[in-house]
Amino acid sequence: MIALLKDVPRWLIYAALVATALALVPLALIARARVVTSSEPRVHLIHDMDHQPKFKAQAENPLFADGRAMRPHPRGVVPAGSAGAEEGFATGRRGGIWLASLPVPVTAELLRRGEERYNIYCSPCHGLAGYGDGPIAVRADALQEGTWTPPSSLHTELVRSRPDGHLYNTIANGIRNMPAYGPQLPVADRWAIVAHVRVLQFSQGATMDDVPVELRGQLAR
Amino acid sequence: MKSDAEPGRFVFPAWTNLIRPALAIVLVTLPAYLVALVWLGGSPKTTDVGYRPEQPVPFSHALHAGQLGMDCRYCHTTVERAAFAAIPPTQTCMNCHKQVRANSPRLLTVRESYASGLPIPWVKVHDLPDYAYFNHSAHLRAGVGCASCHGRVDTMEVVQQVHTLSMGWCLDCHRNPDPHLRPPELVTVMDWVAPGDPAEHGRRLREAAGINPSVDCWTCHR
Repeated sequence: MIALLKDVPRWLIYAALVATALALVPLALIARARVVTSSEPRVHLIHDMDHQPKFKAQAENPLFADGRAMRPHPRGVVPAGSAGAEEGFATGRRGGIWLASLPVPVTAELLRRGEERYNIYCSPCHGLAGYGDGPIAVRADALQEGTWTPPSSLHTELVRSRPDGHLYNTIANGIRNMPAYGPQLPVADRWAIVAHVRVLQFSQGATMDDVPVELRGQLAR
Repeated sequence: MKSDAEPGRFVFPAWTNLIRPALAIVLVTLPAYLVALVWLGGSPKTTDVGYRPEQPVPFSHALHAGQLGMDCRYCHTTVERAAFAAIPPTQTCMNCHKQVRANSPRLLTVRESYASGLPIPWVKVHDLPDYAYFNHSAHLRAGVGCASCHGRVDTMEVVQQVHTLSMGWCLDCHRNPDPHLRPPELVTVMDWVAPGDPAEHGRRLREAAGINPSVDCWTCHR
Protein backbone atom coordinates (compact mmCIF):
# COMPACT_ATOMS: atom_id res chain seq x y z
CA MET A 1 0.00 0.00 0.00
CA ILE A 2 2.87 2.35 0.85
CA ALA A 3 4.24 1.69 -2.61
CA LEU A 4 1.07 3.22 -4.03
CA LEU A 5 2.10 6.62 -2.58
CA LYS A 6 4.52 6.92 -5.46
CA ASP A 7 1.62 6.99 -7.89
CA VAL A 8 -0.37 9.68 -6.09
CA PRO A 9 -0.30 12.87 -8.17
CA ARG A 10 2.28 15.30 -6.90
CA TRP A 11 -0.17 18.20 -6.61
CA LEU A 12 -2.34 16.17 -4.30
CA ILE A 13 0.54 15.39 -1.97
CA TYR A 14 1.59 19.02 -1.90
CA ALA A 15 -1.98 20.13 -1.24
CA ALA A 16 -2.22 17.74 1.70
CA LEU A 17 1.10 18.95 3.13
CA VAL A 18 0.10 22.62 2.76
CA ALA A 19 -3.29 21.98 4.37
CA THR A 20 -1.62 20.24 7.32
CA ALA A 21 0.85 23.09 7.72
CA LEU A 22 -1.92 25.70 7.56
CA ALA A 23 -3.90 23.79 10.15
CA LEU A 24 -1.00 24.13 12.57
CA VAL A 25 -0.95 27.94 12.25
CA PRO A 26 -3.97 28.58 14.52
CA LEU A 27 -2.52 26.21 17.12
CA ALA A 28 0.78 28.07 16.98
CA LEU A 29 -1.01 31.40 17.39
CA ILE A 30 -2.91 30.02 20.38
CA ALA A 31 0.30 28.73 21.93
CA ARG A 32 1.85 32.15 21.43
CA ALA A 33 -1.15 33.97 22.94
CA ARG A 34 -0.83 31.84 26.06
CA VAL A 35 2.73 32.90 26.80
CA VAL A 36 2.97 36.55 25.72
CA THR A 37 1.26 39.63 27.14
CA SER A 38 -0.87 41.87 24.98
CA SER A 39 -2.05 45.41 25.27
CA GLU A 40 -4.73 44.79 22.67
CA PRO A 41 -8.33 44.50 23.94
CA ARG A 42 -9.18 40.95 24.87
CA VAL A 43 -10.53 38.59 22.24
CA HIS A 44 -14.15 38.12 23.17
CA LEU A 45 -15.67 35.37 21.06
CA ILE A 46 -19.07 34.92 22.65
CA HIS A 47 -20.52 38.04 24.22
CA ASP A 48 -23.62 36.59 25.86
CA MET A 49 -24.54 39.37 28.29
CA ASP A 50 -20.99 40.12 29.33
CA HIS A 51 -21.37 43.77 28.41
CA GLN A 52 -24.77 45.02 29.40
CA PRO A 53 -26.14 48.50 28.70
CA LYS A 54 -25.75 49.60 32.32
CA PHE A 55 -23.21 51.63 34.22
CA LYS A 56 -21.10 49.95 36.84
CA ALA A 57 -18.85 51.65 39.39
CA GLN A 58 -16.47 54.20 37.86
CA ALA A 59 -17.73 53.39 34.37
CA GLU A 60 -17.72 55.87 31.53
CA ASN A 61 -20.88 57.64 30.39
CA PRO A 62 -20.47 59.76 27.26
CA LEU A 63 -23.68 61.66 28.06
CA PHE A 64 -21.83 63.79 30.62
CA ALA A 65 -19.15 66.27 29.66
CA ASP A 66 -16.70 64.84 32.20
CA GLY A 67 -17.48 61.26 31.12
CA ARG A 68 -18.28 60.11 34.67
CA ALA A 69 -21.21 57.74 35.06
CA MET A 70 -20.92 58.23 38.84
CA ARG A 71 -21.88 61.84 39.37
CA PRO A 72 -19.73 63.87 41.77
CA HIS A 73 -21.59 65.21 44.80
CA PRO A 74 -23.00 68.69 44.26
CA ARG A 75 -21.31 71.19 46.57
CA GLY A 76 -22.59 70.99 50.12
CA VAL A 77 -24.24 67.59 49.73
CA VAL A 78 -23.34 64.90 52.28
CA PRO A 79 -24.16 61.19 52.29
CA ALA A 80 -27.49 60.32 53.91
CA GLY A 81 -27.13 59.72 57.62
CA SER A 82 -23.87 61.59 58.04
CA ALA A 83 -25.33 65.06 58.59
CA GLY A 84 -26.64 64.49 62.11
CA ALA A 85 -23.26 63.54 63.60
CA GLU A 86 -22.34 65.25 66.84
CA GLU A 87 -20.29 68.41 66.23
CA GLY A 88 -17.22 67.36 68.21
CA PHE A 89 -17.13 63.90 66.64
CA ALA A 90 -17.52 65.30 63.13
CA THR A 91 -15.21 68.34 63.33
CA GLY A 92 -12.87 67.85 66.29
CA ARG A 93 -14.12 70.99 68.02
CA ARG A 94 -17.13 72.11 70.01
CA GLY A 95 -18.09 75.75 69.96
CA GLY A 96 -14.77 76.66 68.39
CA ILE A 97 -12.73 74.87 71.08
CA TRP A 98 -10.56 71.84 70.13
CA LEU A 99 -11.58 68.67 71.86
CA ALA A 100 -8.95 67.81 74.46
CA SER A 101 -9.71 64.10 74.36
CA LEU A 102 -11.31 61.54 72.06
CA PRO A 103 -15.11 61.71 71.69
CA VAL A 104 -15.18 57.91 71.42
CA PRO A 105 -14.36 55.28 74.06
CA VAL A 106 -10.73 54.12 73.85
CA THR A 107 -10.81 50.35 73.53
CA ALA A 108 -8.23 47.75 72.52
CA GLU A 109 -10.23 47.38 69.29
CA LEU A 110 -9.92 51.12 68.57
CA LEU A 111 -6.16 51.04 69.17
CA ARG A 112 -5.73 48.04 66.89
CA ARG A 113 -7.75 49.78 64.19
CA GLY A 114 -5.79 52.99 64.68
CA GLU A 115 -2.46 51.21 64.34
CA GLU A 116 -3.57 49.46 61.17
CA ARG A 117 -4.97 52.64 59.59
CA TYR A 118 -1.92 54.67 60.65
CA ASN A 119 0.37 52.12 59.02
CA ILE A 120 -1.63 52.29 55.78
CA TYR A 121 -2.24 56.02 55.43
CA CYS A 122 0.29 57.84 57.61
CA SER A 123 3.41 55.70 57.84
CA PRO A 124 4.44 56.24 54.19
CA CYS A 125 5.53 59.74 55.22
CA HIS A 126 5.56 59.86 59.01
CA GLY A 127 7.19 56.46 59.47
CA LEU A 128 5.98 53.50 61.51
CA ALA A 129 7.21 55.07 64.76
CA GLY A 130 6.24 58.65 63.81
CA TYR A 131 9.64 60.27 63.37
CA GLY A 132 8.89 61.53 59.85
CA ASP A 133 11.14 58.93 58.28
CA GLY A 134 8.69 56.91 56.17
CA PRO A 135 9.70 55.43 52.81
CA ILE A 136 8.18 58.33 50.87
CA ALA A 137 10.10 60.87 52.93
CA VAL A 138 13.29 58.85 52.51
CA ARG A 139 12.81 58.65 48.75
CA ALA A 140 11.95 62.33 48.41
CA ASP A 141 15.14 63.14 50.30
CA ALA A 142 17.12 60.83 48.02
CA LEU A 143 15.65 62.51 44.95
CA GLN A 144 16.64 65.90 46.39
CA GLU A 145 13.29 67.39 45.44
CA GLY A 146 13.32 71.15 45.90
CA THR A 147 9.55 71.08 46.19
CA TRP A 148 9.57 68.64 49.10
CA THR A 149 8.82 69.65 52.66
CA PRO A 150 9.80 66.88 55.08
CA PRO A 151 6.89 65.54 57.16
CA SER A 152 6.77 66.48 60.80
CA SER A 153 7.97 64.16 63.49
CA LEU A 154 5.04 63.34 65.75
CA HIS A 155 7.31 63.53 68.79
CA THR A 156 8.00 67.26 68.82
CA GLU A 157 6.79 69.32 71.77
CA LEU A 158 4.39 71.10 69.39
CA VAL A 159 2.63 67.96 68.16
CA ARG A 160 2.58 66.43 71.63
CA SER A 161 0.87 69.53 72.95
CA ARG A 162 -1.86 69.58 70.29
CA PRO A 163 -5.34 68.75 71.56
CA ASP A 164 -6.86 65.53 70.16
CA GLY A 165 -9.39 67.56 68.22
CA HIS A 166 -6.59 69.46 66.50
CA LEU A 167 -4.91 66.21 65.42
CA TYR A 168 -8.26 65.00 64.13
CA ASN A 169 -8.69 68.18 62.11
CA THR A 170 -5.18 67.83 60.71
CA ILE A 171 -5.99 64.31 59.47
CA ALA A 172 -9.34 65.37 58.04
CA ASN A 173 -8.34 68.66 56.40
CA GLY A 174 -4.55 68.67 56.24
CA ILE A 175 -2.17 71.25 57.58
CA ARG A 176 0.50 73.32 55.79
CA ASN A 177 1.98 70.92 53.20
CA MET A 178 0.17 67.84 54.45
CA PRO A 179 -2.87 67.10 52.28
CA ALA A 180 -6.33 66.32 53.65
CA TYR A 181 -6.91 62.64 54.36
CA GLY A 182 -10.64 63.09 54.90
CA PRO A 183 -11.40 61.81 51.41
CA GLN A 184 -9.51 58.57 52.16
CA LEU A 185 -10.46 58.07 55.81
CA PRO A 186 -13.95 57.75 57.34
CA VAL A 187 -14.56 59.82 60.49
CA ALA A 188 -14.26 56.91 62.94
CA ASP A 189 -10.92 55.85 61.46
CA ARG A 190 -9.53 59.38 61.86
CA TRP A 191 -10.22 59.22 65.59
CA ALA A 192 -8.66 55.75 65.78
CA ILE A 193 -5.52 57.19 64.19
CA VAL A 194 -5.47 60.06 66.70
CA ALA A 195 -5.51 57.39 69.42
CA HIS A 196 -2.61 55.57 67.79
CA VAL A 197 -0.60 58.80 67.46
CA ARG A 198 -1.02 59.19 71.23
CA VAL A 199 0.16 55.58 71.65
CA LEU A 200 3.27 56.32 69.60
CA GLN A 201 3.97 59.50 71.54
CA PHE A 202 3.57 57.67 74.82
CA SER A 203 5.74 54.74 73.75
CA GLN A 204 8.54 56.91 72.34
CA GLY A 205 8.64 59.04 75.48
CA ALA A 206 8.24 56.16 77.89
CA THR A 207 10.62 55.47 80.75
CA MET A 208 11.31 52.24 82.60
CA ASP A 209 8.75 53.35 85.18
CA ASP A 210 6.03 52.96 82.53
CA VAL A 211 6.88 49.29 81.96
CA PRO A 212 4.98 46.84 84.16
CA VAL A 213 7.31 45.48 86.82
CA GLU A 214 7.02 41.87 85.68
CA LEU A 215 8.09 42.79 82.12
CA ARG A 216 11.09 44.95 83.01
CA GLY A 217 13.42 41.95 83.05
CA GLN A 218 12.87 41.44 79.32
CA LEU A 219 14.01 44.97 78.55
CA ALA A 220 16.94 45.32 80.95
CA ARG A 221 19.58 43.92 78.66
CA MET B 1 -6.42 -2.22 -11.29
CA LYS B 2 -7.13 -4.70 -14.03
CA SER B 3 -4.47 -4.64 -16.68
CA ASP B 4 -6.80 -6.13 -19.20
CA ALA B 5 -9.32 -3.32 -18.95
CA GLU B 6 -11.21 -2.54 -22.06
CA PRO B 7 -9.70 0.32 -23.97
CA GLY B 8 -11.68 3.55 -23.77
CA ARG B 9 -13.21 2.68 -20.42
CA PHE B 10 -12.18 4.79 -17.43
CA VAL B 11 -10.47 2.87 -14.74
CA PHE B 12 -9.54 4.35 -11.33
CA PRO B 13 -5.79 4.22 -10.90
CA ALA B 14 -4.52 2.00 -8.13
CA TRP B 15 -3.46 4.87 -5.81
CA THR B 16 -7.08 5.88 -5.37
CA ASN B 17 -7.38 2.90 -3.05
CA LEU B 18 -5.49 5.14 -0.59
CA ILE B 19 -8.40 7.57 -0.43
CA ARG B 20 -10.39 5.45 1.94
CA PRO B 21 -7.68 5.07 4.64
CA ALA B 22 -6.76 8.74 4.13
CA LEU B 23 -10.38 9.73 4.61
CA ALA B 24 -10.53 7.65 7.78
CA ILE B 25 -7.51 9.48 9.17
CA VAL B 26 -9.03 12.86 8.29
CA LEU B 27 -12.38 11.95 9.85
CA VAL B 28 -10.66 11.04 13.10
CA THR B 29 -8.18 13.90 13.32
CA LEU B 30 -10.35 16.73 11.99
CA PRO B 31 -12.96 16.64 14.80
CA ALA B 32 -10.21 16.26 17.37
CA TYR B 33 -8.42 19.19 15.77
CA LEU B 34 -11.55 21.35 15.81
CA VAL B 35 -12.27 20.48 19.44
CA ALA B 36 -8.69 21.34 20.38
CA LEU B 37 -8.95 24.61 18.46
CA VAL B 38 -12.12 25.73 20.23
CA TRP B 39 -11.03 24.34 23.59
CA LEU B 40 -7.60 25.97 23.60
CA GLY B 41 -8.46 29.03 21.54
CA GLY B 42 -11.59 29.89 23.51
CA SER B 43 -9.97 29.27 26.89
CA PRO B 44 -9.59 32.39 29.03
CA LYS B 45 -5.99 31.32 29.51
CA THR B 46 -5.59 32.25 25.86
CA THR B 47 -7.99 35.17 25.52
CA ASP B 48 -7.72 36.90 28.92
CA VAL B 49 -4.55 35.98 30.81
CA GLY B 50 -1.69 38.24 29.84
CA TYR B 51 -3.92 41.24 29.11
CA ARG B 52 -1.66 44.19 29.86
CA PRO B 53 -3.23 47.38 28.56
CA GLU B 54 -1.20 50.51 28.15
CA GLN B 55 -2.28 53.04 30.77
CA PRO B 56 -2.60 56.79 30.23
CA VAL B 57 0.01 57.38 32.96
CA PRO B 58 3.14 55.20 33.28
CA PHE B 59 2.25 54.37 36.90
CA SER B 60 4.44 51.65 38.39
CA HIS B 61 2.98 49.37 41.03
CA ALA B 62 6.48 47.87 41.32
CA LEU B 63 7.75 51.23 42.61
CA HIS B 64 4.79 52.27 44.77
CA ALA B 65 3.59 48.96 46.21
CA GLY B 66 6.88 47.11 45.85
CA GLN B 67 9.88 49.32 46.46
CA LEU B 68 8.10 51.93 48.62
CA GLY B 69 5.96 49.29 50.30
CA MET B 70 2.75 51.31 50.27
CA ASP B 71 -0.32 49.36 51.33
CA CYS B 72 -2.81 48.60 48.53
CA ARG B 73 -5.49 50.36 50.56
CA TYR B 74 -3.67 53.69 50.57
CA CYS B 75 -5.07 54.18 47.06
CA HIS B 76 -7.77 51.51 46.71
CA THR B 77 -9.65 52.82 49.74
CA THR B 78 -13.04 51.26 49.11
CA VAL B 79 -11.85 47.68 48.85
CA GLU B 80 -12.71 46.74 52.44
CA ARG B 81 -16.10 48.42 52.46
CA ALA B 82 -17.51 48.03 48.97
CA ALA B 83 -17.90 45.48 46.22
CA PHE B 84 -15.72 47.59 43.98
CA ALA B 85 -12.04 48.32 44.62
CA ALA B 86 -12.04 51.90 43.43
CA ILE B 87 -9.38 53.39 41.24
CA PRO B 88 -8.15 56.36 43.28
CA PRO B 89 -9.10 59.90 42.34
CA THR B 90 -6.32 62.11 40.98
CA GLN B 91 -6.30 63.86 44.33
CA THR B 92 -4.74 60.75 45.89
CA CYS B 93 -1.83 60.91 43.43
CA MET B 94 -1.37 64.57 44.25
CA ASN B 95 -1.09 63.84 47.99
CA CYS B 96 2.56 63.15 47.24
CA HIS B 97 3.09 64.39 43.70
CA LYS B 98 2.34 67.99 44.52
CA GLN B 99 5.76 67.81 46.11
CA VAL B 100 7.56 64.73 44.81
CA ARG B 101 8.44 64.70 41.10
CA ALA B 102 6.18 67.72 40.85
CA ASN B 103 7.51 68.71 37.42
CA SER B 104 8.00 65.28 35.89
CA PRO B 105 6.73 65.01 32.30
CA ARG B 106 5.59 61.48 33.12
CA LEU B 107 3.07 63.03 35.50
CA LEU B 108 1.76 65.65 33.09
CA THR B 109 -1.53 63.79 32.58
CA VAL B 110 -2.01 63.64 36.36
CA ARG B 111 -1.43 67.37 36.79
CA GLU B 112 -3.76 68.17 33.89
CA SER B 113 -6.45 65.98 35.43
CA TYR B 114 -5.98 67.68 38.81
CA ALA B 115 -6.23 71.12 37.25
CA SER B 116 -9.21 70.36 35.01
CA GLY B 117 -11.17 68.08 37.32
CA LEU B 118 -11.56 65.56 34.52
CA PRO B 119 -10.77 61.95 35.41
CA ILE B 120 -7.69 60.15 34.11
CA PRO B 121 -8.96 57.50 31.64
CA TRP B 122 -7.34 54.51 33.38
CA VAL B 123 -7.94 51.23 31.55
CA LYS B 124 -9.66 48.48 33.53
CA VAL B 125 -7.49 45.35 33.58
CA HIS B 126 -9.60 42.87 35.54
CA ASP B 127 -13.07 42.91 34.06
CA LEU B 128 -15.77 40.41 34.99
CA PRO B 129 -18.90 39.80 32.91
CA ASP B 130 -21.68 42.21 33.85
CA TYR B 131 -23.81 39.37 35.27
CA ALA B 132 -21.15 38.35 37.82
CA TYR B 133 -21.52 40.23 41.10
CA PHE B 134 -18.13 39.95 42.72
CA ASN B 135 -17.65 41.62 46.10
CA HIS B 136 -14.13 42.61 47.17
CA SER B 137 -15.04 43.39 50.79
CA ALA B 138 -16.49 39.92 51.42
CA HIS B 139 -13.34 38.26 50.13
CA LEU B 140 -11.01 40.46 52.18
CA ARG B 141 -13.04 39.76 55.29
CA ALA B 142 -12.71 36.03 54.69
CA GLY B 143 -8.95 36.39 54.30
CA VAL B 144 -8.38 36.03 50.56
CA GLY B 145 -5.26 38.04 49.77
CA CYS B 146 -5.02 40.54 46.92
CA ALA B 147 -2.27 38.45 45.35
CA SER B 148 -4.49 35.35 45.21
CA CYS B 149 -6.47 36.83 42.31
CA HIS B 150 -4.31 39.70 41.06
CA GLY B 151 -0.88 38.08 41.30
CA ARG B 152 2.23 39.86 42.49
CA VAL B 153 1.12 43.34 41.47
CA ASP B 154 3.95 44.71 43.63
CA THR B 155 6.41 43.39 41.05
CA MET B 156 4.58 44.69 37.96
CA GLU B 157 5.71 47.83 36.17
CA VAL B 158 2.50 47.61 34.14
CA VAL B 159 -0.34 45.61 35.62
CA GLN B 160 -1.43 42.54 33.75
CA GLN B 161 -4.02 39.85 34.31
CA VAL B 162 -2.42 36.67 35.63
CA HIS B 163 -5.46 34.53 36.42
CA THR B 164 -8.37 33.60 34.18
CA LEU B 165 -11.11 35.03 36.44
CA SER B 166 -13.32 32.44 34.79
CA MET B 167 -16.28 30.85 36.55
CA GLY B 168 -14.46 27.53 36.83
CA TRP B 169 -11.52 29.29 38.43
CA CYS B 170 -13.80 31.02 40.96
CA LEU B 171 -15.49 27.72 41.80
CA ASP B 172 -12.17 25.94 42.31
CA CYS B 173 -11.58 28.20 45.28
CA HIS B 174 -15.18 28.28 46.49
CA ARG B 175 -15.13 24.48 46.63
CA ASN B 176 -11.70 24.27 48.24
CA PRO B 177 -10.82 27.62 49.82
CA ASP B 178 -8.31 26.34 52.39
CA PRO B 179 -5.05 26.80 50.44
CA HIS B 180 -6.02 30.41 49.65
CA LEU B 181 -6.98 31.66 53.11
CA ARG B 182 -4.85 33.81 55.38
CA PRO B 183 -5.50 35.97 58.45
CA PRO B 184 -7.70 38.86 57.22
CA GLU B 185 -5.31 41.48 58.60
CA LEU B 186 -2.62 40.22 56.21
CA VAL B 187 -4.58 40.35 52.95
CA THR B 188 -2.44 43.13 51.47
CA VAL B 189 0.89 41.50 52.31
CA MET B 190 1.91 40.60 48.79
CA ASP B 191 4.71 38.12 49.58
CA TRP B 192 2.84 36.32 52.35
CA VAL B 193 3.31 32.57 52.55
CA ALA B 194 1.45 30.28 54.89
CA PRO B 195 3.47 28.96 57.83
CA GLY B 196 3.58 25.24 57.14
CA ASP B 197 1.04 23.54 54.89
CA PRO B 198 -1.25 26.21 53.32
CA ALA B 199 -4.22 23.82 53.22
CA GLU B 200 -3.87 22.91 56.90
CA HIS B 201 -3.28 26.53 57.93
CA GLY B 202 -6.28 27.64 55.88
CA ARG B 203 -8.47 24.88 57.25
CA ARG B 204 -7.89 26.11 60.79
CA LEU B 205 -8.65 29.71 59.77
CA ARG B 206 -11.79 28.60 57.93
CA GLU B 207 -13.10 26.61 60.87
CA ALA B 208 -12.27 29.34 63.37
CA ALA B 209 -14.02 32.05 61.35
CA GLY B 210 -16.85 29.86 60.08
CA ILE B 211 -16.05 30.58 56.45
CA ASN B 212 -18.38 28.69 54.19
CA PRO B 213 -18.13 29.86 50.58
CA SER B 214 -21.32 29.28 48.67
CA VAL B 215 -21.42 27.58 45.30
CA ASP B 216 -25.05 28.44 44.67
CA CYS B 217 -25.75 30.16 41.36
CA TRP B 218 -27.36 33.18 43.02
CA THR B 219 -24.29 33.92 45.12
CA CYS B 220 -22.65 35.52 42.08
CA HIS B 221 -25.52 35.76 39.58
CA ARG B 222 -28.39 37.85 40.82
